[in-house]
Amino acid sequence: METFLQQLTNGLAVGSIYALIALGYTMVYGVLKLINFAHGDLFTIGSYLGLTLLTSLTLTGRLGVLAGILCLVVMVMGLVGLIGALLERVAYRPLRQSPRLSAVVSALGASIFLQNAVMLIYGARFQVYPHNVLPKMPLGLFGLYIPLVKVLVLVAALVMMMALYLFIQKTKLGTAIRAAAIDQGAARLMGIDVDRVILIVFLIGPALGGAAGLMVGLLYGQINFTMGWVFGLKAFTAAILGGIGNIPGAMVGGILLGVIEAMGAAYLSIAWKDAIAFCVLIVILIVRPTGLLGERVAEKV
Amino acid sequence: MNKMSRVTLAFLVMGLVAWGCAKKETGPIKIGLMGPMTGPWASEGQEMKQVLDLLAEEANGKGGVLGRKVEVVSEDDGGDPKTSALAAQKLVTQKVMAVIGTYGSSITEASQNIYNEAKIVQIANGSTAIRLTEKGLKYFFRTCPRDDEQAKVASQYIQSMGYKKVAILHDNTTYAKGLADETKGLLEKGGAEIVFFDALTPGEKDYTAILTKMKAANPDAVFFTGYYPEGGLLLKQKKEMNWTVPFIGGDATNNPDLVKIAGPEAADGFAFVSPPLPKDLPSPEAKAFLDAFTKKYGKPPASIYSVLAGDGFRVLVAAIQATQSTEADKLAEYLHTKLKDFPGLTGKISFNDKGDRVGEVYKVYKVNAQGEFILQP
Amino acid sequence: MQRTSLIFIALVALFLLSPLLLNPYWVDVLNNVGLYAILGLSLNLIVGHAGLFNLGHAAFYAVGAYTAAILNTRFQIPVLWLLPICALSSGLFAGIIARPIIHLRGDYLCIVTIGMGEIVRIALLNNVFGITGGVNGIFGIARPSLFGISIQTPHEFFYLIWGFVSLTIFLFHRLENSRFGRALNYLREDEVAAEGSGVNVAHYKLACFVLGAAWAGMAGDIFAAKMTIISPESFSFWESVLMFTLIILGGSGSIPGVMLGAFLIIGLPEVFREFANARLLVFGAAMVAMMIFRTEGILPPRPRTYPSIEPPSGEGRR
Repeated sequence: METFLQQLTNGLAVGSIYALIALGYTMVYGVLKLINFAHGDLFTIGSYLGLTLLTSLTLTGRLGVLAGILCLVVMVMGLVGLIGALLERVAYRPLRQSPRLSAVVSALGASIFLQNAVMLIYGARFQVYPHNVLPKMPLGLFGLYIPLVKVLVLVAALVMMMALYLFIQKTKLGTAIRAAAIDQGAARLMGIDVDRVILIVFLIGPALGGAAGLMVGLLYGQINFTMGWVFGLKAFTAAILGGIGNIPGAMVGGILLGVIEAMGAAYLSIAWKDAIAFCVLIVILIVRPTGLLGERVAEKV
Repeated sequence: MNKMSRVTLAFLVMGLVAWGCAKKETGPIKIGLMGPMTGPWASEGQEMKQVLDLLAEEANGKGGVLGRKVEVVSEDDGGDPKTSALAAQKLVTQKVMAVIGTYGSSITEASQNIYNEAKIVQIANGSTAIRLTEKGLKYFFRTCPRDDEQAKVASQYIQSMGYKKVAILHDNTTYAKGLADETKGLLEKGGAEIVFFDALTPGEKDYTAILTKMKAANPDAVFFTGYYPEGGLLLKQKKEMNWTVPFIGGDATNNPDLVKIAGPEAADGFAFVSPPLPKDLPSPEAKAFLDAFTKKYGKPPASIYSVLAGDGFRVLVAAIQATQSTEADKLAEYLHTKLKDFPGLTGKISFNDKGDRVGEVYKVYKVNAQGEFILQP
Repeated sequence: MQRTSLIFIALVALFLLSPLLLNPYWVDVLNNVGLYAILGLSLNLIVGHAGLFNLGHAAFYAVGAYTAAILNTRFQIPVLWLLPICALSSGLFAGIIARPIIHLRGDYLCIVTIGMGEIVRIALLNNVFGITGGVNGIFGIARPSLFGISIQTPHEFFYLIWGFVSLTIFLFHRLENSRFGRALNYLREDEVAAEGSGVNVAHYKLACFVLGAAWAGMAGDIFAAKMTIISPESFSFWESVLMFTLIILGGSGSIPGVMLGAFLIIGLPEVFREFANARLLVFGAAMVAMMIFRTEGILPPRPRTYPSIEPPSGEGRR
C-alpha cells in the first residue's frame, strides 16, 4: 500500500509537468488545428533561459526565494511567449491557407532549428541549475516521501489551468479565442481580429511551456538541448488522451499519463513503461475516439 | 596532330603518370580517425581529434614516419550506426592506410566489415562490447578493455565490500546491457543474490518511480551500468529520498559532469569502475603527453577514451616503423605477434590474437565529499 | 515532348551508369537515397493517396527487417526469397493493428501511429518473445545473392536497390491509374462524397495501409541484407519523421515528388556537412523555408487529365 501511494505521488508529480506542457499544445491546436512540434523546444528554451536569468541576475539572492522565483517565472514566461509569437509569425502564418500537412512539416523544421540553436548557443553538454535555490523540505505525509517542491509544482499547474480556463470561458478575449477555434471565417465576420487572437494564443501557450521548462530545471537540476523531444511527445500524448483542444482535458491527460507511467513502471516493468503508456492510450482512443473529455470544437457536418 | 607530336604527348602522359605514381610513394601517410564529432557524444569525438592532431604534430616534428609526413583524416560518425557506415566508406575512398576509432560499440560494429573488406587496420578506442573481437576479423584491434574485464573488476569489488543483495540497473544500450549481463552472471556465481534487474529510459528526468521500486527490493548496493547524465540524476534523487544505499557505477559514469549534476553531497561515496583517469596515469610518457596537451589546448583531456585513441595512434606508428611498411597484412601480423609491452600512455599494451588488449586496465574510483575522484588501491 | 523524353532518358542512363563513375562513398549515399525512396513511395500510398496521417511507418520497416533477419539467421533462407514473406508479415501486422484505428480522425490517428511505432521499437529493444536480440539486435545476416552472384559492394547493391525502385515506381504508377487509384483519389478529396458514391472508404483505407506496410517490409528485407546487422535504434520515431517529411517536401501524392524528396532528405545533410555543427540548424531552417515557399511540395501531383472523348465522325482530333 505504501508503495502504491508513493508511486502515485511520483506519478502525480511527473504528470503535472506533462499537464503544463500539454496545456500549451492544446491551446494552439484548438485555434489553429496545428500540432506545434516545436512546442517541446519552447519548453527547453524556457529551462535554459531560466538558468541564464537565475545565474546572471541572482534573483533569489536579492529578493528572497519566493519573490525571486515568482519574478523568474514571470520573466521566463514573458520571454518564451515572445519567442512563440515570433515563431508563429515566421513559420506558421505564411502557411495558414495551406494544407495542414505542410504546417506540420514546417513545425518539424522549426523544432529542429530551435533545438540546434540551443545547442549552438549553450553548448552540447548538460547544463545544471544551481543546487540550493529551492528549499529542500520533504513533507512526510503518512510515511511517504513527498518533496514540498513537487507539491508546489502540482499546485502551480492547477492554478495556471484554472486561470487559463477562466480566461477562456469568462473573458471577452477568451470568447474570441473560442470563436476563432470554432470557425475562423465566421469569427472574422463577427469583427474579431483573428490575427490578434492567434498572436495571443501563441503568447500564452508557449509561455506555459516555458514555465514548465523552468520548473523542470528547478526540480531536477539537469537540462540538455534534446529534452524537448521526449517531453514534447509525452505532452502531445497527454493532450490527445484528454481530448485535444480541451483545456481541462490537457490537465487530466497529463496527470493521468504521469500516473500510468509510474504505475506501469512499478507494477509491470520499467523498461516497458512507455510501451504500456501508449497501449493504454490506444485502448482509450478505440473506446473514446475523441479522447477522455472529448473535443470542445464543433464537428463539421 | 602529326605522328611526332602524338608520340611526344604519349611520353609526356606516361611520364606524368609515372611521376604521379612515384609521388604517391613519398606522399603523406594518411591515418584515418572516425569519431563522433556531432551528436550526443560530440565531446568525445572532438577530444579524440585533438589528441591525434597533437600526436601527429609531434611525429612530424621528429621527421615524420618512414621519412613521410603523417596526416590525420577525420570523419564524423555522428554516434549513429548508419552515419558510421557512410563515414567508413568515405575514409576507405580517401585511401587511408589505417583507422583509429570509434567510441560506441554498435557504431564501431557498423564499420567493421567495411574496413575488414577493404583491408584496412582498425584500432578502436572506446568500444568495449565483447562480440566485436569474437568475429575473427584479422585487421581489428582495440586499445580499450572489454566489458567482461570490467564486469570482473566490478563484481570483485562488490563481493569484497560484502554486498549480498545487489540491484542492477542498466539503460538498454548495447554497452550498458552487456556489462549488466556479465556482472549479473559473475555475481550469481559468487553467491550474491540479484534482487532487481531492469532498465531505465535515458533522456528522462524523473527516476523516482524506479528508485522507489528498487528501494522496495531492499538491496545492499545498486550497480548502475548506464551513462553519467542518468547517473547524476539517480544520485541526486536518491539523496532527496533519503535513501542511503551505496551506488556503484560502470565506466560510462566517469565524467566530471556527474558531480556537477548530482551535487557533491549526493555524489559523495559513489564508487565506479574505470580505466585510470588521465590525471592518474603513472608513466612518464603520459605525464609528458598531458603537459603537451594542456599547453596546446589549455586544459588536460577529460576523457580516458581520447587518450586510448592516442595510444592507438602510437601503437600504429610503432608498427609502421618496425615493419617499414604500411601494408595491412604486415601491420596486423606485427600487432598480433610481435608487439609486446609497448609503453603506452595508459599502461603497457600488447594484443592477443583476437585483437583484444591484454592486461588489467580497470581500477575502482570513489567520489569524496568535495566531488573529486579518488583512486582506490 | 520528344525532346524532354530524350533528355529524361539520357539522365536516367547517366544515373544508371553512375556507379562506374563515382567512388563507393557516393554510391552508398545513392543506395540510401534508393532505400528511402522505396520507403517514401510506400508511405506515399498511405499518406499521399489515402490521406492517413501515419507517423509510425518505421514500425513496418522494422517488422520486415527483423522478419528477414530472424528467418535468415535461424533457417538460412536466402534473403531474396524472403521478400514476399517480409511483405506478408508487415502487411499482416498492419492489417491487425489498423482495423481498430482506421476510423480515428487525423490527429488522433497521428498519435496512435506514433505510439504504435514506439511500442514496436520498445518491444524489439526488450527482446520480445526472446527472438529479437534486444538492444544488440541481430547480426550475421547473409548478403543477398542473385543467380549465384553474391551482392556485396555498394556498386552491386546500387543495381539491386534501384532495380527495386524502378519496379516500385512502375507498379505504383499503374496503381495510380487503375480503378483502385481513382477510388483513392476520390476518398482523399472528399470522404463523405466518396462514401456516398459507393466507395467503401474503410476498405480502401485499410488496403492502402496494408499495401504500404507490405512494401516497407520488403524495403526492410533489403536493408537487413545490406547492413548485415540490424538493431532497434535504426527504427526510431525520427526515421518515421524523416520518411514523412520527405514525402511532404517533395510533394505529397506524386511519385516524382517522393523521389525528389528522398534525394533532398538524404542529400542535404551530406551537403550541409560543411556547416559542421550547424548542419542540422541549417537543415531545419531549410525545411521551414521550403514549406513556406512551395507549400504543396516541390513537385506536387499534377491534376489528373483524361483524354477527351473523340467525336464519332473522326473530326476535331487533337
